[in-house]
Amino acid sequence: MSDNHSNTNEPKLHVEEDEKHLLLDHNYDGIHELDHNLPNWWQFTFYGAIVFSVFYFIFYQFLGGPTLRDEFKKEYSKIEALQAEMKKKSGGFDPELYAKIVADGGVKKGEEVFVANCVACHKEQGIGDIGPNLTDKYWINSKGTPETNYPVVFNGVPENGMPTWAGVISTEEIYQVISYVQTLHNKNLPGKEPQGEAVEDNAATTEGAATDAPQAQ
Amino acid sequence: MSSTHSQNSSLTRRLETFSYDDQIVRWFVIATVIWGAVALLLGTTIAFQLAYWKVNGLGDLPWITFGRLRPLHTNAAIFAFCGNAIFAGIYYSTQRLLKTRLFSDALSRIHFWGWQLIIVAAALTLPFGFTQGKEYAELEWPIDIAIAGIWVVFAINFFGTLKVRRERHIYVAIWFYIATIITVAVLHIFNSLSLPVDFLKSYSVYAGVQDALVQWWYGHNAVAFFLTTPFLGLMYYFVPKAANRPVYSYRLSIIHFWSLVFIYIWAGPHHLLYTSLPEWAQTVGMVFSVSLWAPSWGGMINGLLTLRGVWNKVRTDPVLKLMATAVTFYGMSTFEGPLLSIKSVNAIAHYTDWIPGHVHAGTIGWNYMLTAGVLYFLVTKLWRTEIYSKKLAETQFWLATIGLVLYITSMWAAAFTQSAMWRAIDETGKLVYPNFIETVVKIVPMYWVRAFGGTFVFISFIIMMYNLYMTAKKGSVVDGEKLEAYALDESSIEKNAKPHRKLEGLTLVFSVLSLLAILVGSMIELIPTIMSYNYVIQKAEVKPYTPLEILGRDIYVREGCYTCHSQTIRPMAHEVLRYGKPSEAFEFIYDHPFQWGSKRTGPDLHRVGGKYPDMWHYRHMWDPREVVQGSIMPRYKWLFNSKINYNTLPKKLEVMATFGVPYSPEELQNGVALAEAQAKTITEGLVKSGAPSDVGNKEIVALIAYLQRLGTDYGRIK
Repeated sequence: MSDNHSNTNEPKLHVEEDEKHLLLDHNYDGIHELDHNLPNWWQFTFYGAIVFSVFYFIFYQFLGGPTLRDEFKKEYSKIEALQAEMKKKSGGFDPELYAKIVADGGVKKGEEVFVANCVACHKEQGIGDIGPNLTDKYWINSKGTPETNYPVVFNGVPENGMPTWAGVISTEEIYQVISYVQTLHNKNLPGKEPQGEAVEDNAATTEGAATDAPQAQ
Repeated sequence: MSSTHSQNSSLTRRLETFSYDDQIVRWFVIATVIWGAVALLLGTTIAFQLAYWKVNGLGDLPWITFGRLRPLHTNAAIFAFCGNAIFAGIYYSTQRLLKTRLFSDALSRIHFWGWQLIIVAAALTLPFGFTQGKEYAELEWPIDIAIAGIWVVFAINFFGTLKVRRERHIYVAIWFYIATIITVAVLHIFNSLSLPVDFLKSYSVYAGVQDALVQWWYGHNAVAFFLTTPFLGLMYYFVPKAANRPVYSYRLSIIHFWSLVFIYIWAGPHHLLYTSLPEWAQTVGMVFSVSLWAPSWGGMINGLLTLRGVWNKVRTDPVLKLMATAVTFYGMSTFEGPLLSIKSVNAIAHYTDWIPGHVHAGTIGWNYMLTAGVLYFLVTKLWRTEIYSKKLAETQFWLATIGLVLYITSMWAAAFTQSAMWRAIDETGKLVYPNFIETVVKIVPMYWVRAFGGTFVFISFIIMMYNLYMTAKKGSVVDGEKLEAYALDESSIEKNAKPHRKLEGLTLVFSVLSLLAILVGSMIELIPTIMSYNYVIQKAEVKPYTPLEILGRDIYVREGCYTCHSQTIRPMAHEVLRYGKPSEAFEFIYDHPFQWGSKRTGPDLHRVGGKYPDMWHYRHMWDPREVVQGSIMPRYKWLFNSKINYNTLPKKLEVMATFGVPYSPEELQNGVALAEAQAKTITEGLVKSGAPSDVGNKEIVALIAYLQRLGTDYGRIK
């Protein structure tokens, strides 16, 4: 039988010399307590955080400190300025730039861009799936020419699910992918049924694009 | 050496004989070990699912996907593992600190079996999609009621024990137990308020921003009052016991206890920074979180400095080593927590893997390590023997520590990488990484590191299981040992005691003060926002979900989509470029429950409506990799086989109408017909794009209806 209110059976309590005077007259199941002062750095942190909190709250709630929305508006207006500048620069379709990019191996690079971004909806080789078949002569929002395809890619057709690619891929990549799409024309690969209107006079395949066209695998 | 007052006995004192109920402690110890292994196995499994999507299965078995197992993991870790550990430690220490047997053997046993049944009920519902869709409070309403009931049993048993105590003053461990029991009851009851649709489906009574605030008031304080205060109580008992050292500072105990309890309850809104929660509440959440740093470290100081002079023992004694490490990780995560609550830090860290990293520093570093120390202590005491193998315990310690460090550092690396990619905007005002998937693919290697770190932790636990089993096996159980102590009488009243010392003798007053301490913050934060239902600006354009969208939303909740996708866009340039305009409070007024989420393993979905064609979602849910190369999302092929369940739809709409969602009488009466008509329209479009013609009555259609609706109402507001 152990005597619950005696310390004789308990292991000897380890008390350091310099803290003996701090030992309190408390004993709970053999647990004792010292009464050290609160460390200074702890008190500093404790009261410091509270003082900071009071000032922080007063500043942002009562003294007109910027709200999160204020800060957002400021941040976003800078972005909008950048975008406006970019829009000015990119402008509309630039045939000269297009020819230059095509001459620079644009079709090959365009195919990479296509595989990375477009096949999710237009499938490999543009046979269509979620988006329309690009290998037939039917077009929904363009005439199948680089000039008319450019705004479809650049701005997208949100109501049909075509995303805005400006800002997602670079302008150069847009030209490249358009040149690749030109090589798909009138391949008439089996895929999604035709959508949109038939464009008979399809002089779309530019010379440069034709010569650079990769062999169908 | 001082002696207690009770030893200066007078002749009139009554010596009483009693014994401890150690059997109930042993039961809880065994349950802790078993559920701990389950929780860690689940955690390791879902970690591998994030690293490699095929671990989710190939799309035929719904109940093993991440969205369903993740809630099971968190519930198992918190309520099954930590819950049983708390009960074991509290029942063991309380009897000894109060010199009495537990109030009622019967209540103890009801408590034990009730809690285990609740855990089993969780395991039988969560994987099957029965969930309320609120983090750490997923369990459906009958289980919620059972939890409340068993918690009351626990409370009666505990406060009854206080009543029959033979020690006048209550020790600091008991203070923490009191705060735990009171606060968890308040949190659980108010967060779980819901109206049932049927036996296993209910809707939260709160909607949108209100639901978010109540949920994170609960969610954060589940961390505070389920994973922190009870474990601090255990620390205050087991560390000085194992070290034979006096606690460092009594006055620090007082100030850190009261400041911790008072301040913690306010901190919830730091989970909602930059959301549409009123900004004053966000600021309150932040400043109280920052103020929590010192009170938390008060506990750490009292734990670590109690070990002053015995650090040589910490090196050799597994119990002390595990506990000292636990307290150190507690200090680390309670520094990281306030840091993460600072708005500008939170802007970077929120929704990233920093948060699971932070959480696991707490749960593995603090809760598991401390529990491991307590378990070795308890098993050697309760089976009256020495530890079977110190070497195995040493191995366990190192495996757990290395595993945890791998976990934390890999999540830091993943978070900094991904956050930087999310935020990167180039000089033309465009996102550098506009495709979310690019930012995921980049951090998948870190998910592998985390999964292996988790495996180390799991193995360490299995080693402990074996070590504890072998320890118990060589020991023996002796129950009913007779003890003696004097009945509580006036001799223990300390004259001229300081006020707090007096309070320690008045348990009822102490408990009431604890309740008041947590109610102040709760009421000041919750009441204005709950009442604001009436003055969140209402826009006529924001309409209730259609009947079919309600069904789709229930599928979204059932599959646990919120575990990986958020539904709230923060007012930040990069988020607006990526997802659309910032989310507003009035957009969520019909969201019972809210589905804002807390982690973006996938992109935000608040304005996904109309972003892609229906067919895109159709393909994506069949196999995400068909439309998003490199996606780590599981397949959801069963949505293409399971038929939409229209049976409970009228009741669902009725419950929503009870909440004040303005459905017209026509919608309430013809809900099913309206839903079928909408399903038909969607189906026609899908079939045109190549889907099979019998898709019309399948769940995928309802889910598409919901996804396509998300965030579009506000899009129509000029």
